[in-house]
This record gives sequence, structure tokens and C-alpha cells, in this order.
Amino acid sequence: MLAATIQKDLQLLARDRGALISLFLLPVVFIAVFGAFFSDDGGGRRRVLVVWAADAPRPAAVVAALEASQLFELRPATSADEVRAAVAAERAHAGLILAADFDPAAGRPAELAIDEALAPPVRLPILGALTALVHRAVFPPPAGADRPVLVPRTPPGVQRVLRDVDAFQLSVPGNAVLFGFFLALTVGLAFAEERRWGTWRRLLAAPVGRWRLLVAKLVPYVLVGFVQFGFLFGLGIAVFGMRIGGSVVALVVLAAAVVLCAVALGLVFAATGGSEKRMGSIGSVSLLIMGRIGGAMVPRAIMPPALKAAGLLVPHGWALDGYFTLLVRDGAGLADIGPQLGAVLAFAAAFLALGVWRFRFER
Amino acid sequence: MAGASLLSLRGLGKDYGGRVAVGAVDLEVPAGTIFGLLGPNGAGKTTTISMIAGVITPSRGAATVAGHPVVAGAAGFAARRAIGLVPQDLALYEELTADQNLAFFARLYGLDRATAAARADWALGVVGLRERRGDAVAPYSGGMKRRLNLACGLLHRPALLVLDEPTVGVDPQSRRHIFDTIRALRDDGMTVLYTSHYMEEVAELCDRVAIMDGGEVIAAGTVAELVDRHGGPPLVELELAGDAAALVAARALAARHGALAGDDPTGAVLRLPRPPQLGPLLADVETAGATVVNLSVVRLDLERVFLSLTGHSLRD
Repeated sequence: MLAATIQKDLQLLARDRGALISLFLLPVVFIAVFGAFFSDDGGGRRRVLVVWAADAPRPAAVVAALEASQLFELRPATSADEVRAAVAAERAHAGLILAADFDPAAGRPAELAIDEALAPPVRLPILGALTALVHRAVFPPPAGADRPVLVPRTPPGVQRVLRDVDAFQLSVPGNAVLFGFFLALTVGLAFAEERRWGTWRRLLAAPVGRWRLLVAKLVPYVLVGFVQFGFLFGLGIAVFGMRIGGSVVALVVLAAAVVLCAVALGLVFAATGGSEKRMGSIGSVSLLIMGRIGGAMVPRAIMPPALKAAGLLVPHGWALDGYFTLLVRDGAGLADIGPQLGAVLAFAAAFLALGVWRFRFER
Repeated sequence: MAGASLLSLRGLGKDYGGRVAVGAVDLEVPAGTIFGLLGPNGAGKTTTISMIAGVITPSRGAATVAGHPVVAGAAGFAARRAIGLVPQDLALYEELTADQNLAFFARLYGLDRATAAARADWALGVVGLRERRGDAVAPYSGGMKRRLNLACGLLHRPALLVLDEPTVGVDPQSRRHIFDTIRALRDDGMTVLYTSHYMEEVAELCDRVAIMDGGEVIAAGTVAELVDRHGGPPLVELELAGDAAALVAARALAARHGALAGDDPTGAVLRLPRPPQLGPLLADVETAGATVVNLSVVRLDLERVFLSLTGHSLRD
């Protein structure tokens, strides 16, 4: 009976273009688009800096320091106005204008052309890096006194981060979680359709226990969840070059917890969602909000503190924390994602309890 | 033809909140018969068969099918195996083919793959859909979907086939096919419980009938028994001809003999609800200047039985 139900539901799903698009195609599109977007925003590529420097010693020293740092992609301009025009036209993140009389000690600083309304995560690193570079170029330390002022070190207890982590390390799990939880909507709608079609009456009339019937109806979607996870992460690795720094086994265990959580949430939708139309609208909005809060679209790391904390009120936040740990931390394993795994499983148990409590076989 | 009861209901009833959907139904359905459950929409027919099929839990009473109790859980599985439910909704997966639908429902009843395939072939033959077995159900006509719906209920060869309004929305050809199929199944020994709000269907098809209204069975028996018991005496209908004044005078004189105006809007039809003394009546009609152009005995039917029992029409 279980095998027959799995076969039937997979056959139905294979003919459901809407579900296939939302479970498999849309996440790929989002991974590609957001991965490319965040890469362009600074993940793997350098910021573009347009520079006009007068033919004078101080400007020349600054340009030399910028070139040596390799922090920016430098594009020379022929005039100060050209710099300003390039920034205004968004052909460069910022521009540096180094006039002939440039002399900070005399109160004549260089001009930094930059959109001051730029988001702080973009604007501030440019400002900070340029300030330090220009300062060192203009006020070089005495010979023999050039010492590093800071050195990056990962504190004990935190695994080493993979080198060259790129935006797909965020984009793949983010969208896998966002669209993985859309499985909940597919589950809820599957129950609503059975009721609308009248087939639910036929299932209830069969010599099968009602709870067994319920489990049999859920199991196919657990399998679909695993296929979706395998597909998205496999694609992430094969096509987008995503790498897994931690344990693959731990990743699969966490994925299993996420799939169970999504299917259990689907049971809540089935139990409380009402008609397909109502479930479709309320369910989609709920899942998008959960995904947004949980950091599936924008990483929680760059969210304001309140929103960052709110992310842990939904399973998405915990799941993503776990995935990020396993993807970017070299050698991370099950023990390192214990709290995240536990939280996702706790959400799954709560959803399951709520769904079972509210589910009505006869309606 | 009819044997011991295959289906037995004792005070079966269902409440939804404070509303009584079905009061307390007592019913015996003899084995090997087509048993009609006739009543208007909302009479409680679907609720009753849903309780019989185990789809909804009764609030009171008990039911047995082929001697097996209709109860929740594993103890009720034997009764469920004895029932083939054909719901009023087209309970089909329309994106799947007929074969895929049948394979799934067969396995739901515990049939192995080989048996399921053989039964599917048989059921498709019974309903005349073998040629379309590999097609998705969605583009089927309404009648074809109804026939496949019926086939799904036959797969496990139930002792009791429960059909809930199986001809709603079907063309005459498919209705005829469904009727022929039901009779053939009955002739093969299957018992059929057939719900409908179409009096003509029940009268034509069913060996015995129970009439439901307001959640209660208000009468049961063969059509002839019900008509004898509740239909009253036969009606004699007179059709008159003549000018308007003659018809008015004839109606006035005929009223002395107990004649009532018939359905005809011109007033040219008179009905006599009790065995009439025709000689004096005909003489009075002629005296009024009208002529009797037709005289017939009106066939009594379940509609009249229903009207007599409930005071309202089956179609109200």
C-alpha cells in the first residue's frame, strides 16, 4: 500500500508542472541569479575604482600604493570630471581624484567620489581601505619601522574557513532551504486536491488504517525532498563550483532534518489551510516571510541585530546556520551543527504534533 | 432472487454539531438485489452511505455488511473489503491513465500486481473502457469518467457495490450503459445500493427502494408495495373539449363527483382521485356542453408516494 501510494503520488507530481517548477526550476534560477549578484557585489571580484592623478609626487605615490595592494580594479581617467561622471553613471563603485596640490598635511585631501547613499556594507569597506592605503602612501613609516598593525587569526574552537569562499556557498543552501520548505505547500495542496477530487473518500473507504493512510501520503514527499536536496546541492557542486568544507554525512543528516521539518509543516498546512486557493496564497506568503527572516534570501550575517535574532524563530535560520557551517568550515561535522540540527528537529516535532492534532480525516 | 440481508442498519445516525444529518436509520438490504435509496438533495443519502462505507464515523447505531461490523480500525477492514464505494464525486486522479488509477485502487485493497492487472482488465471490460485504458482520464467525457469511477469500485469484487448518484451529468448512452452494467452485476450475485434523487431511475432499476427525507427512512419496499401502501387509489383523467363557458360549467358539475382540476392550464383536464362512477359524470359533462375526448388511468409513481408521505415534491 505504501509503495502504491508513493508510486501514485510521484506519478501525479511528475505531471504537476507548477510543483516541479517551484521545487526544481525556480531554485536553480534563483541560485544562478543571486549567486552571480552577490559575486558581483564583492564576493570574488574586486571593486572598480576610477582614478585621476595629477602628474605630481604625492598622487603618483598613492597610485603606486593602490596598484601594489591589488585591492581594487583600477581604471585610469583623464580628468576629475571623468571620474565623477563614471561614478555617477555607476560604471565604478568609487573614484579617487588626486590633484596636483594634494597634501593632507596642509589640509588639502584627495576627493573620494562615491555615492554616499550606498549601503554601508559596500561603502564602508571602500572608505576604510582607501583611507588606510592613502595614509600609508602619504605618511610612510620610517625605514625599518614598517610593521604589520594587525594579523587575522581564527579563534580556537572555530574551524578554518575554506579559501576562496564564493557567493554560491551562500546562494545554493539559501535557495535550497527557501524552496525546500516550499515542499510544505506541495504537501498541503496534495491533501486539499485529494479532498476536492473525492479520492480522499475512496482512500478512507479502503481497508487501511487512517494513520497509516496519513503516513503513506506523507512519505512520497520526504523522498521528493531528498531528491530536491540532492539535485540542488549536486548542481551547486557540479555547475556552480560550490565546495563542501565539512562532513558530507553531516550535510545529509541536516538535509534529512530539513526535509522532515518541511513535510511536517506541510501537514500543518493540510490540517489548517482550508481550500487550495487559501492555502496557496497564505502558504506562499508565509513561506516567503519565513525564508526572508531566516536568511534564505539575504544572509543573516548582514542583517540588523533584531532581524538577525528573529531568524532563529523559524527553522530556516537554524537550517542555514547549519548548512553554512558545513559548507564553509573546513572539517566541520555533526558535533559542530548540534544546536542547529536539534533546533530543526524540534521544529519538525512541533509541526508534526500540531498537524496531527489539527488534522481531520472527516471534513 | 432476494436472500438474507447483506447490509443491515440499526439506528444508524450522524450529527454535525447540534444538527442531525441522519436521525436513526433502520434498513435491511437483501443480498443479490439492487436497492434504491431515493430522496431529494439533502435527505441524508450520501451521509448514510458514507457511514456504511466507513468514510465517516456514525454518531449512533450500527451497521453490518455481509455479517461484518462497520467499525473504525482494523476490526472494520472485513466490512470495508466487502464494500465497493463509487462516490458521487468523480473520485479519480485525472492526470493519470485509467490503468494507473485502477492499479492504485486495486493495490489499496491489497491485490498483488498480477491480480490487480487482471481485475483492472475485467473491470474495464465491464464498463466498456478497454480501448481508452492507456489514456489520461482528464480528457474523458463525463460519461466515461463515471464509468471509470464505477470500475474503480468493482476491482476487489465487493459483495456490496455502493453507488452514490452515479448518473449525475451523464449522457443517455452512458446512463444506459451504467444501468446495463448494474443489472449484469446484480445478475452475477452482487448486491447494489443505489442512491438517487431521480425517481424514474430508481423505479426503473431497483428491486427494492427506501425513501429518505430529512435524515430518516420514511418508507421501504418494492416500488409496487410503496405505491400500494402510500400512493392512494389510481387516478382517472378526463380530457374535455368545448368552449370556455362549457368547460367552466362542466368543471362545476364534475366537482360534485369529486373531480379536481388537472395539470392542464386551460382547465380542460379533470382528475378523479377515487374510483369514479363514470356514467353520471359523463352525463353531466355532456349536459354542460363539453365533450370527453380522452379518458385514461394515470399511472401512480414514486413521485406521488413521496408527495403523499412528505407533503412536498421530490424535486422541491
